[in-house]
Amino acid sequence: MVEAAGKALRAGAYRPLNLPRLVEVTEDSSGQPIAIKGRRRQVIAAITDRWRLDDEWWRAKPVARLYYAVRLASGPRLVLYKDLTDNRWYEQDY
Amino acid sequence: MKILCILMLHFPLACEARRNPALAGRPAIVTHAEGSSRLVLGFSPGLAGLQPDMPLQQALARHGRVELIPADVPHYRTVFSGLLDRLEEITPLVEGAELGMAYLSAGGLELLYPDEDALIDAVYKAIPEAFLPQAGLAGNKFLAYLAARRCPPGGRRVLAGDSGAFLRELPCDELPVSLKTREKLRDFGIAALGDLMALPTGPLMAQFGPEGKRLAELALGVDNTPLYPRLLERAIEESVTLPSVTVSLPAILVAVEGILARVFAKIAPAGLGIGRLSLWTRTWNAEHWERLIQFKEPAMELKTALGRIRRVLEDYPQPGPVEQAGLRVEQLACPRGRQESLFREVRARDHLAEDIRRLEFRQGSPQVYRVKEVEPWSRLPERRYVLAPTDR
Repeated sequence: MVEAAGKALRAGAYRPLNLPRLVEVTEDSSGQPIAIKGRRRQVIAAITDRWRLDDEWWRAKPVARLYYAVRLASGPRLVLYKDLTDNRWYEQDY
Repeated sequence: MKILCILMLHFPLACEARRNPALAGRPAIVTHAEGSSRLVLGFSPGLAGLQPDMPLQQALARHGRVELIPADVPHYRTVFSGLLDRLEEITPLVEGAELGMAYLSAGGLELLYPDEDALIDAVYKAIPEAFLPQAGLAGNKFLAYLAARRCPPGGRRVLAGDSGAFLRELPCDELPVSLKTREKLRDFGIAALGDLMALPTGPLMAQFGPEGKRLAELALGVDNTPLYPRLLERAIEESVTLPSVTVSLPAILVAVEGILARVFAKIAPAGLGIGRLSLWTRTWNAEHWERLIQFKEPAMELKTALGRIRRVLEDYPQPGPVEQAGLRVEQLACPRGRQESLFREVRARDHLAEDIRRLEFRQGSPQVYRVKEVEPWSRLPERRYVLAPTDR
């Protein structure tokens, strides 16, 4: 029988899942995504859905996101959102 | 393709008479229980006005002095199955429609049997005379059945060409449709197939629904029902005689567990399970009880099968003290979409935890995680699940 390592597991031992990934997005004049920049530019063929998420408004950094479900010209579907507090774009499985 | 119908109208009683020759020539009725009512399963040839599945009270009202024999259905099935085996030596396509009724495909046998009589002779050679077989040959099952009904035991009737004249005078009670439909026909005063023939299909369908179309076709001698040959399926039969007659469910279950263990000993090495089985018991006064048990997913273990059997035995009580129990596995099946465990050992969870602890001891930080729900209702996707160390 091996004794436990004796190290107390901290909250940091938990690993979050499905964290948003920062992406670089080209917007059109109305602020809607038209392409994802990266090693290879991926053109967005269609926006299939859009919704806004506001939460934790009582905190110092409230959550305000504008989600877009998009279909790329190459076929795959993605969910992107624009963080309205810092105007950066993220990709996240919803 | 021509179909040959072999009819043995007094099959259950013929089976009993073979076991007990003293019964030969004596008026007798074979009875079986359906819920709380007792019905006629078979009867001696001389007893007029009786029908299979008729309530026993009605039968006794017609013939008071008869010997009553409780049905031994497993035995009749075994005998019938043996007869079908013999018939399959004549033609490979044999359907055992019900006890005492078989359909044979008569097509493509010309080189073996030059004419119809030669074929029927071969069939009669395969069936002992005591079963009083009647043979009818026609273009479809319905006509072949009618032809067999209309000939004496040991005789034969072949229907060829136009069957209109043959059908015209036959009563509508011969039609293989629901009892309700037959009664309705009687209420309408449609007694013979000739009367039915004269009616157009449209009004019949308007009155009887989809069965109306079948009625119209059958009246004209058209029957498209295909022949369903016996499938070659491995069946396992096991039975046990209890040390003493009992009504105790645990005692019956112990006996059933014993025979199930024998079944699993045969099929488990091949990776097979039980898909369907027929459980039967016989009471001390020769009452037969039987239930068909279908497993939604094949029972791969004795415990699973026994659990289901226990519920059936609890739900359907025995008609009396049980003397013998048996089962017939009618369908063997492979497991479907079954996820095998990676860790088969006893206390596998403990061993796994121990291994993880060893790994973390060496590496110094959590190495194995599991997905844990935190706020599955959260609108923020990253808040819903986390990876947590396995010992948390």
